[in-house]
Amino acid sequence: MALAINIENLHKSFSLGFMLKKKKILKGISLEVNEGEIFGYLGPNGAGKTTTIKCILGLIFPEQGKIELFGQSHLSLPAKARTGFLPENPYFYDHLTANEFLTFYSQLFSIKKNEREEKIKDLLQTVGLQQSAGLQLRKFSRGMLQRIGLAQALLNEPSLVLLDEPLGGLDPLGRKEIRDIIVRLKEEGKTVFLSSHILQDIEMICDRVAIIVNGEIINQGALQDLISEKILFTEIDLSGVEEKELEGLGEFLSGHGERGLLKVFKEENVEKVLELVQSRKGKIHSLIPRTETLEDLFVGMVKQK
Amino acid sequence: MRMRLKNGKSFSTVFLVLFLLLTCSVFMNLKIITDRVLRKKIPGSSIIYLPKGKYLKYATFGYSSFLADLIYIWAIQYYSDYTIPDSYLYLYDIFEIIAELDPHYFDPVDMGAFIAAYEAQNPNLAVKILDMGLEKNPKEWFFPYQAAHYIQFMQKDYERVQEYYKKTMSIEGYPPIVPRLYANAVFKAMDYERALEEWLEIYNTAEDERIKQVASNHLYNIKATVDIENLQEAIAKFKEKYDRYPADLSRLVSAGFLDSIPKDIDDKEYLYDSQTGEVKPATIPWKR
Amino acid sequence: MKIRAIAFNTLKEAIRDRILYLLLFFALICIAFSRLLALLTIGDRVKIIKDVGLTSISLFGALMAILIGTGLVYKEIDKKTIYTLLSKPIQRYQFLLGKFLGLVLTLFIMLLLMSIIFLALIFFHTFTVEWQMLIAILYVFLELCLITSVALLFSCFSTPILSSIFTLSFYLIGHTAWGLETLIKKIKPGFGKVLAQGLYHFLPDLENFNFKTEIVHSLPIPPSIYLYSTLYGVFYTLFVLTLALLIFRKRDFI
Repeated sequence: MALAINIENLHKSFSLGFMLKKKKILKGISLEVNEGEIFGYLGPNGAGKTTTIKCILGLIFPEQGKIELFGQSHLSLPAKARTGFLPENPYFYDHLTANEFLTFYSQLFSIKKNEREEKIKDLLQTVGLQQSAGLQLRKFSRGMLQRIGLAQALLNEPSLVLLDEPLGGLDPLGRKEIRDIIVRLKEEGKTVFLSSHILQDIEMICDRVAIIVNGEIINQGALQDLISEKILFTEIDLSGVEEKELEGLGEFLSGHGERGLLKVFKEENVEKVLELVQSRKGKIHSLIPRTETLEDLFVGMVKQK
Repeated sequence: MRMRLKNGKSFSTVFLVLFLLLTCSVFMNLKIITDRVLRKKIPGSSIIYLPKGKYLKYATFGYSSFLADLIYIWAIQYYSDYTIPDSYLYLYDIFEIIAELDPHYFDPVDMGAFIAAYEAQNPNLAVKILDMGLEKNPKEWFFPYQAAHYIQFMQKDYERVQEYYKKTMSIEGYPPIVPRLYANAVFKAMDYERALEEWLEIYNTAEDERIKQVASNHLYNIKATVDIENLQEAIAKFKEKYDRYPADLSRLVSAGFLDSIPKDIDDKEYLYDSQTGEVKPATIPWKR
Repeated sequence: MKIRAIAFNTLKEAIRDRILYLLLFFALICIAFSRLLALLTIGDRVKIIKDVGLTSISLFGALMAILIGTGLVYKEIDKKTIYTLLSKPIQRYQFLLGKFLGLVLTLFIMLLLMSIIFLALIFFHTFTVEWQMLIAILYVFLELCLITSVALLFSCFSTPILSSIFTLSFYLIGHTAWGLETLIKKIKPGFGKVLAQGLYHFLPDLENFNFKTEIVHSLPIPPSIYLYSTLYGVFYTLFVLTLALLIFRKRDFI
C-alpha cells in the first residue's frame, strides 16, 4: 500500500534565548501513514507534534532526516498541491469576508476563475458556513474560524489533510460536526493526519496512532493493537442492598442511602453481585464494563517516560 | 525547486548569492558615475524661508526667543558661506527680525553690525543696525558707543561721532572713557574752543592723577595745535611777502603779522626751524 | 498569477491601515501649511509652496513606506497567517515579491493623491499646471521603492519597532552621504581610507533621487543623471530584495 507520509529519522533543534542554547525538539522521529487512513498523532504539550507537522509542510527545515509525501519530496510543489493544512488556533486576514478569503487562497492554487465560485459555495456548505459567506472574518466565532480553516484546507481537494488540534476549543456539538467531516473525508479516499489532545475523539475515529513524548515516538500502530480488549473493572450502579453485604466483592465508590456505585474488579464477583441484588429484590441501574482506554495507555506510557 | 549539490548548499542559493554580488557591484559603480555628474546648487537658497517681521509675533506661539536663536544660528551659517552672491541685501532685515523676536538678545545686534562693517564694508549699515538695537533697548549704552567707533574708524565723520558719544553719555552706566573720547572727537572736528572746554571740564572733574595728566596733555595739545596753526599762518603770509622764512618768530611780531608770540601751556617757547618754516611744540604732548 | 494575488491582497490590507490615512492627512496639512508659510516669509511665495510641498510628499511618503513596510512580513509571522499561506504550493520568493509589489502599489496611489492636490494648489497660484513637478515626484517614488525594500528586509527578521529604526537610519544615512565624503578627504591614504571609500560607495546615496532644488528653482538638469539615478535605484532595490529573499528562504517559522 502506498505511503501518504513517510518520515525517516527526523531531527530538529532550536537555538533559543539570548545565549542561543540549543534545544533538541525532535530526536529521530520515524513514522508511516498509509493512504486512505485516519492517523492520530498524540503527545503531551511540548512533545513536538506541531514541530513535526511544520516540518512536513516546509515551514521548518529539519537538520536531518527524510520526509516524503506520496513518494515525492515534501518541499516539491506537486506534493504541496496535494496537501491541505489547518493550523492550531487558526488566524486569518480578518479584514476579508469568507468569500474573499477563499477566493484569495484559490488564486494561490491557480484554480480557474469559473470553477472557483462553485467550489467555494460547495466548501462553505460542507463546513456549514453558507450563511456567513459575506461576513468579515473578524466577526467569526472560534468555532466558525475553525470551520473556515477547514474549508481553506480542502480548497485544492487534497489527498492528504493535516490537522493540528482541529477539535480544540469547540463545544461538543462542534466537535461532533468536525468528526463527521473527517470521517467523510476518509470515505472520499483522502488521508487525514491529525494531532490532538482529546483522546476520546481520537479513539472514535482514528485507524492508527503514534504517541510522541519528548521528541521521540514511543509507540506506533493500529489502535486495536495498542489497546487490549481486557476488561479492567466493572462499574455497577445498584440499590436495595446493604453496603455491608457487598464488602469484599468490590470497592464502594459512592453511596446515597440505599443506592450506590460499586467498582468490581473480578469477573466472578460481578455474577455474585447480580445474584445478590436479585435475591434482595434490589435494582440494577447500570452496569458498565471499562476496558483500557487510550487515555489509560497514554497516561501509562507518559508516566513510564 | 531546490537541487542539492555535493557540499549541501542548494543550487539556487548559489545563484542568489551571485546575483546579490552582481547587483551590489553595479550600483556601487553607478554611484561613482553619478558622483561625477555635476548638479547645480544654489548656495544660500534657504533665504527664501526668512520670515517677514509683520506677522511673525503671531505665528510663533510663544516660542519667539527660540525662533530668534534658530534664525541667528542660521544667519551665522549663511554669512559664513562666501559663495552666496549679494547676501548683504537682507542683512538689516535678518537682524531686525531677530531683534523683533527677542528684543533683549544682545549678541545678534553686535554681530550684525560687525558683519555689516567688516564683511560688507558698510559702516552706515552697521550704524543702522545698532540704532535699531538701541531703539529696542534704550538702556544699552553699548550700541551708540560701538556705532561711534565704527564711524570714527571707517568714516571719520567727527560730527556724527560726537552725536553718538553724546547719545552714549545720556544712558546710565557708560564707561568713564566716553567723555574723553567725546572730547577727542570734538578736537578732531576742529572745534577747538569747545574741545578746550570739554577737556577743562574733564581736568577739573578728574578723579585721579592719571586722568588729570591725560586731560592736561590734551589741553596742551589743543593749545599747541591752535598756536601752531596761527604761527604757520603768519609764517606763510611772511613768506608770501618777503619770499623767505623769518629768521625767528619775533620777526613775525615786528613785521606786524602777529600781536605776540604764543607760548605753550607750560609756558615754554615753540621750536622754530627757519630753514623749513616749521613750528613744533617743545614737548611731545603725551610725554609730559 | 500567484504574485499578483498576494500583491492585491497586500494592497487591500494596506489601504485599510489607519496609519496611512493619518500620514496622508498630515502630508496634506503640510502642503496647506506651505501656503501659510509663504505669507510669513520674504521669499518667492510660489517657490516656498513648491519646496515645502515636495518635501512633505517625500517625507511622508518615506514614513508610509517605513511604517507599513516594517509590519508587512512581521505581522504575517506574528499573527500566524503565514502558516496557511506558505503551506500552499507557492514559492517563498513569490510571497515576498507579492508583498513588495503590493506596498509599492499602495504608495503609488498615495503619491498620486498627494500629487493631484499639490498640483492643484500650485495651479491656484500660477494658473498653470506645472507638470515638471511630477519629475521630482517620480524620483521620490523610486526612492520610496528602495526604502520599501529595506523595510521589507528588516521585517523578515526583526520586530516592527527595531525595523523602523533601522530603515529610518537607512533613510537618514542616505541623505547625509556627502558628510562621509568630506570626512574621507581628511583621512590619510592607506587601508583606512580605502575601507572608508568602499563604505562610502556602498552606503545608499538617496540624494541621487532628489531633484527638488533643481525643479523648484528651475535649474538645468544634466540629462545623464536621469538614466543613472534610475538604474541606481533599480539595482539597489534588486540588491536589497535578493538579500531579503536569502534570509527569508532559510527562515524557520516556529
